[in-house]
Amino acid sequence: MFAYADSLQVIAASAKNSFINRFTSMHPALWLIQLLITSFFAMYFFVILSEYIGNPEITVAFVVIGNAVQSVAATTLYSVAEIPGVEKHTGTLGAIIQSPSSLFSVFLGMSAFGILTGIVAMLMSLCYAAFVFGVSFASCNFVSVGVILVLTCLSLTGFGMIIGSVGIRLRTAAIMANVFAYIGLLISGVNFPVSYLPGWVQTISHCMPLTYAVEAMRGAVAGAGLISILGPLSAMVLLGTAFIILAWVSFRYFEKASRRNGNTDSF
Amino acid sequence: MNPRAVTASFKQQAIQFMADPQWIIPSIVSPFLFTMVMLYIHQDVTGPVVLQAVLGGGVLGMWANTIFASSFTISYDRMNGTFESMLLSPTKIFDILIGRSIWNAFIGLVNALLVFAIAEMIFRTGVSLANPIGFFFILALTLMSLASFGMLISTAFVFSRMGRFFSSVAEYPIYVISGALVPISALPVGLQHISYLLAPSWGVDAMRYAAFEGYGSMMGTSLLTDIIMMVMLSIAVLIIAYFIMNKAERAILSAGSATRY
Repeated sequence: MFAYADSLQVIAASAKNSFINRFTSMHPALWLIQLLITSFFAMYFFVILSEYIGNPEITVAFVVIGNAVQSVAATTLYSVAEIPGVEKHTGTLGAIIQSPSSLFSVFLGMSAFGILTGIVAMLMSLCYAAFVFGVSFASCNFVSVGVILVLTCLSLTGFGMIIGSVGIRLRTAAIMANVFAYIGLLISGVNFPVSYLPGWVQTISHCMPLTYAVEAMRGAVAGAGLISILGPLSAMVLLGTAFIILAWVSFRYFEKASRRNGNTDSF
Repeated sequence: MNPRAVTASFKQQAIQFMADPQWIIPSIVSPFLFTMVMLYIHQDVTGPVVLQAVLGGGVLGMWANTIFASSFTISYDRMNGTFESMLLSPTKIFDILIGRSIWNAFIGLVNALLVFAIAEMIFRTGVSLANPIGFFFILALTLMSLASFGMLISTAFVFSRMGRFFSSVAEYPIYVISGALVPISALPVGLQHISYLLAPSWGVDAMRYAAFEGYGSMMGTSLLTDIIMMVMLSIAVLIIAYFIMNKAERAILSAGSATRY
């Protein structure tokens, strides 16, 4: 029975529920408008900031591509990480824990909406880059862009799930999610080269999948094929896999601890 | 206005904040990171850009707090089922929200000071204000203008739970047009006109007058004009919020649609 509960069916059902939940509380058209506006202004904010400062090393294309990738972190990571906390706040976490399905499967399925949001946000941002900010995609390798898009969303989903699992124990994981969703702006080479940062921050930066995603995307837009960006892609696969495994371990730990201590609903 | 209701809601908001103060963190994180990004792009922690980055980060912190606190204030009532009780009580929602907005503005000030302090601790810029007393007076007025804007945002949440849409959509555009980090004069003309309609934009300009020696206004106006414009626009926003809120309250009560989504 447990094997059944852990099957793809649970993940699929949770994914379906995540779409129903989101589109019940917000009309799809409003959701799309929200993404259109936030994606544009998040990018535009840093474009005018860099233009105002006038650092010759930091071009509009550098900032725009960096922020297009960052849009995934701001959407996928945050929306995935906040799921357990929201369930706890609305009083449904206890019911999910009591069900025979594993929390990891349920929340992995519920991450589907966050993954879709990340993909849409990055595609919109890349369109803005081309049609509003004049970034040339003439030599872009679209296969590489597609692979980077998928890997970025998946690796950030794993990272978001690790943060989200803490929300089972804490009052909310939204605070941590907020910090990690935005930290990429500073340490992942989104708005300026990673080399500007102190050495120890660069070390942390290289543990973040977003750093490799930004580097790979800049290469792909300049025409790099999959072989040329194999280094950052491999790092993303490794980090993404490690995050998913860690998320699974973390969910198992907090799920068991929550059952044992009977503190699912404690704040 | 009912001063007792305003005082009580102010106190209630303070109690609720103290029960779970961690929610101030998200309003600090992004503005602080924006300040750091600006300083790293600048690659120099001396000169007027540093003060502008630190000052701008603080103002963005106040904005972030206004936007999120104003949206959460009614959202939580809707989520916790207390919104209907508020509607049924003889006190007007507008009065309740004034008390809450004043508390939120106060937390916005704390937020701004935290951003200033953290940025100063990390970068040790040694920035000094040209007119500290004037600066804090204008900062307080700017906070009041933000509180009035927060009242306007709250009206969306009285109408519908989808009010959350407006607060999430408003965040970055407001960061851009507020002139907090990038002066309004560096924006396209169309956006500059929108900036002129926001009371806090005038407040930011006035704060820069008090912070920088020999500051040349980004609005092309004097300090006094900035303050007058800020106060007038704040009052105008407050009046608009009052009428919208009353209309929404009457419509919900007559239709009995408070819990309908």
